[in-house]
Amino acid sequence: MKSSLATRIVMVVMAMHAVVLPVLYFGLSVVVSRNQIDVFIQHVRTLSRNLAEELELGDALESRQRVLDMLDLTVLNADGVYAELLDNGQPIFSNLNDRGVSWPGKQDFSFGQRGDHIYFIEIPISRPGHVATLRLGFDENPTSEQIQLAMHQTVLVLAAYLCMAVILAAAWGYHFTRPVVRLQLASRSIAKGDYAHSLRLESGVRELHDLGGDLEAMRKELVGVNEKLRAEMIENERAGERHRNLENRLRHRQRLETVGTLAGGVAHEFNNVLLPIVLYAELALAETPEDSSAHQDLKEVLTSAHRAREVVNKILTFSRDAGAPKLKAIDLEPVVREALRLFSALIPPTVQLRAEMPGPYPLVKADAALTIQVIMNLCTNAYHSLLNAEGIVSVDLKSSVEPASPDGDKPPREFVVLSVTDSGGGMDAATAERIFEPFFTTREVGTGTGLGLSVVHGILESFGATITVDTAVGRGTTFKVAFPVAEALAANGLSSEPVAGVSI
Amino acid sequence: MKSVLVVDDEAAIRSALKRVLERAGYTVRVAASGAEGLESLEAQVSDIVITDIIMPTMHGVDAIKAIVAKYPAIRIVAISGGGNFANADYQPHAIKTEAYLAAAKLAGAHAVLNKPFRSQDVLQAVEAAISTSE
Repeated sequence: MKSSLATRIVMVVMAMHAVVLPVLYFGLSVVVSRNQIDVFIQHVRTLSRNLAEELELGDALESRQRVLDMLDLTVLNADGVYAELLDNGQPIFSNLNDRGVSWPGKQDFSFGQRGDHIYFIEIPISRPGHVATLRLGFDENPTSEQIQLAMHQTVLVLAAYLCMAVILAAAWGYHFTRPVVRLQLASRSIAKGDYAHSLRLESGVRELHDLGGDLEAMRKELVGVNEKLRAEMIENERAGERHRNLENRLRHRQRLETVGTLAGGVAHEFNNVLLPIVLYAELALAETPEDSSAHQDLKEVLTSAHRAREVVNKILTFSRDAGAPKLKAIDLEPVVREALRLFSALIPPTVQLRAEMPGPYPLVKADAALTIQVIMNLCTNAYHSLLNAEGIVSVDLKSSVEPASPDGDKPPREFVVLSVTDSGGGMDAATAERIFEPFFTTREVGTGTGLGLSVVHGILESFGATITVDTAVGRGTTFKVAFPVAEALAANGLSSEPVAGVSI
Repeated sequence: MKSVLVVDDEAAIRSALKRVLERAGYTVRVAASGAEGLESLEAQVSDIVITDIIMPTMHGVDAIKAIVAKYPAIRIVAISGGGNFANADYQPHAIKTEAYLAAAKLAGAHAVLNKPFRSQDVLQAVEAAISTSE
């Protein structure tokens, strides 16, 4: 059976008192009654002795009347019930003797003996001429009553004490269990997932206080673990979201790639088909008289071929694979960021991609889509040069000014310089000299086309930008692309021959 | 009279170019591939080579490099209609015609032309290529 701690404490206190209180009661009753009885006996003996001495030393024995008076006085003054003087065989009885009380024949030195509740004393008296014996009986009942009264009072005191003890035990039990109950409530709310309640106990009991402290430490640990778990869950969700976004972007990019590849293939086929049509039509045109209907028909063929070419160009424009680069004044920073965004989706997490772009930058003349291709190619190249696909690829963008030539032939030119640096193995001078050659590759046969850097070179040439490489074995490689600033280009004229160079 | 070797895997393009160039007064031979073109040059050297870039078996850029290495006097005109490589693993979009032609230029071509072009364009390109040697 389950009962509360307070109830148990009360029950234990009551059980203890059920044993202790009767023992205490009986002990007290023995002491109290013994004491009362001793006082009574002392009193009656002293009284009897005094009377006997007075009879011995005085001359009362000579007068029967005086003896009688003294006996009466003794009975009156000391709860006596019997007084007799046996003088030379002649008994003298007090007139105040209780009826029915007679000398029992021997001295009674015990209280409560013989059941008659009378204490008898016999004292011999010696006086010349007399052989006398004083016999006195005293009532024990008043003393017995006093003892009983005292015992009743003791019972009352003990009952009051028991009540006090039970009340105190209940109060203490309540006081003692209160922190435990609080602990219970707090632990229940923790079980429900509310970790806010402190488990620290304001208790004077050391064990409870320590228990509260330990539990509080545990709760804090739990709260910490819980929060960590929650943070991890949120982080996981976010990572999943990022992953899904990345997947979507990749799928989108792959679709674009497929379309681009298809469009490129279609364009190639179409251009190959269109070329003989154009050439044959022109040949035929040259051999037909200008006023003939065949001449007019062939012109229509050429017009249609021209339109077909436009269609091909439109397809290529759609797939961002347009014929001529569309040079516009663009801000490189968002273009580089877009390229890095695409590139970061392609590399494993073992590669660190760093970008430093303390813009703003002046506008440069370039084609944004092609610039993205250039950056992707340079970054891919950098990534491939990393050993075990581990290391750093850093991209930075800064403005720079080329001072005017000393003879004053060339005015100062402004550039925005894009650098792509890798922490890979670097190249020797012989390799570096050839990297812009088409189909030159340091990679294994079959892993690439070897067109990456020559394509980059071709594109940059069409922008009027220059690319240089700075490398050494074991030191990594930096490609620097200098994009001429749009205003500077306009000043110099867009027709100026672009120069691409390699410097080691 | 200058001699021209036309290298292209498309028969229609070969014969059309042959007709256009012959009409302009050139002696023209044709080859269907880079390898065939090199064999043809082995037999008889031409003054000018007009070559396509994207061809099966031998890439036009390789053909140009081989010709430049062996016959430095030959003037080369590269023609291309663009397209893409199947294993273009490093770029999101098909390679542009410009990129091919830039590659051809780097390999040593003296003039480049986008397909399709007109008769007068190819004749001008050939003239321009010849003029680089004078």
